[in-house]
Amino acid sequence: MFICGYHFPAAMGNKISHEQVVEKVISEAGDLSDVSYAILTSENRDGIKQEDLRVEKGSFLFTALADYYKKSDIEGEYKMIFYTNKYQMSEVSKAVDGGVTAAVCKKLDDMLLYRVKVA
Amino acid sequence: MAELRQIAFYGKGGIGKSTTSQNTLAAMAHYFGKKILIVGCDPKADSTRLILHEKAQCTIMQLASEAGTVEDLELDDVCKPGAAEFDPANTDITDGFIMCAESGGPEPGVGCAGRGVITAINFLEEEGAYDQDLDFVSYDVLGDVVCGGFAMPIREGKAQEIYIVMSGEMMAMYAANNISKGILKYANTGGVRLAGLICNARMTDREYDLAKHLAEQIGTQLIHFVPRSNHVQRAELRRMTVVEFADKTDQAFEYKELARKIIANDLKVIPKPLEMDDLEALLMEYGLEEEVEADAIGKKATA
Repeated sequence: MFICGYHFPAAMGNKISHEQVVEKVISEAGDLSDVSYAILTSENRDGIKQEDLRVEKGSFLFTALADYYKKSDIEGEYKMIFYTNKYQMSEVSKAVDGGVTAAVCKKLDDMLLYRVKVA
Repeated sequence: MAELRQIAFYGKGGIGKSTTSQNTLAAMAHYFGKKILIVGCDPKADSTRLILHEKAQCTIMQLASEAGTVEDLELDDVCKPGAAEFDPANTDITDGFIMCAESGGPEPGVGCAGRGVITAINFLEEEGAYDQDLDFVSYDVLGDVVCGGFAMPIREGKAQEIYIVMSGEMMAMYAANNISKGILKYANTGGVRLAGLICNARMTDREYDLAKHLAEQIGTQLIHFVPRSNHVQRAELRRMTVVEFADKTDQAFEYKELARKIIANDLKVIPKPLEMDDLEALLMEYGLEEEVEADAIGKKATA
């Protein structure tokens, strides 16, 4: 099973709890004290940018995006987020971050392509 | 040498199964150096065209018909190396390669298409096609598992792990559930397992949620959500995979990620297909079907 890009062994079954995902992502992300912001941009199928979204520091979504950015081998300042990952990050964030990221998660659930920049 | 894994891509006709499988297998060879044999099990014989840069490969059934019998064929007649970087002789980009064979089948409306599949797999095995230095054999099979011939790769334990290509459309979901029933039927005798759903997205509302919930309910995972992209069509017009055509594009990276997951995947389950009522309830929950009162069933629309 793969969530947020991480492999959860088959012995854990096909329903991984949000807590297990959060634990995994936080432990893999390591020290993020040097990360001050995470910005998402959305774009339509023609590649036209729609808007910028800032993600609340300290949230699970922020950690997951920072981790994704650091581990990604996609080139460029803004790195494309796999659709699967954005939906999974949104799902977990809605459950554990509450209202803090609700507006951003609602956007992430749409069909647009998102890119992330972390610095 | 790692153990040979035999995988299969099943799915409703027209869902984008051959496109998805070829792009994913291309990514496995291109980015991860995997050595692969594709066995196309669809009478359309379009399971290898993007790898070969050809319109359609000559099929085993077609060549056997011309030669007299399948025994008159040599392995080299039916099993072709992929074009350019997928040719084993070309190691400029990757040490991986893709060999290609198509089973073929009879003319539409004549005979049993499944017989071509059985004949082709037996021939390839007997001629040693699977003995080469391979990491994966991949079967690309159309989704009509009602026909025993198309169930052959799972029926006789040839394909061990099945990936179902589906989308958030109603008929694709029905087909995915039906294919799960086929896997369940042969899971104990042949050892076949369901390894995941691949959503070849139509980009409809809540498509990810719908596909994920179907996967969960039948006991598997939605291994990857592949977005729709114009790059796929652009590459197909050139008879190429996106991975080969434009390997730095977002869509190529999506296939790379799917390839990575398939290579690492260990979640292989005996599926728990849904009853029709449960499947319809799922479709209603996600808005693909509208719920109607019991007394409205079978009634014509009023003017």
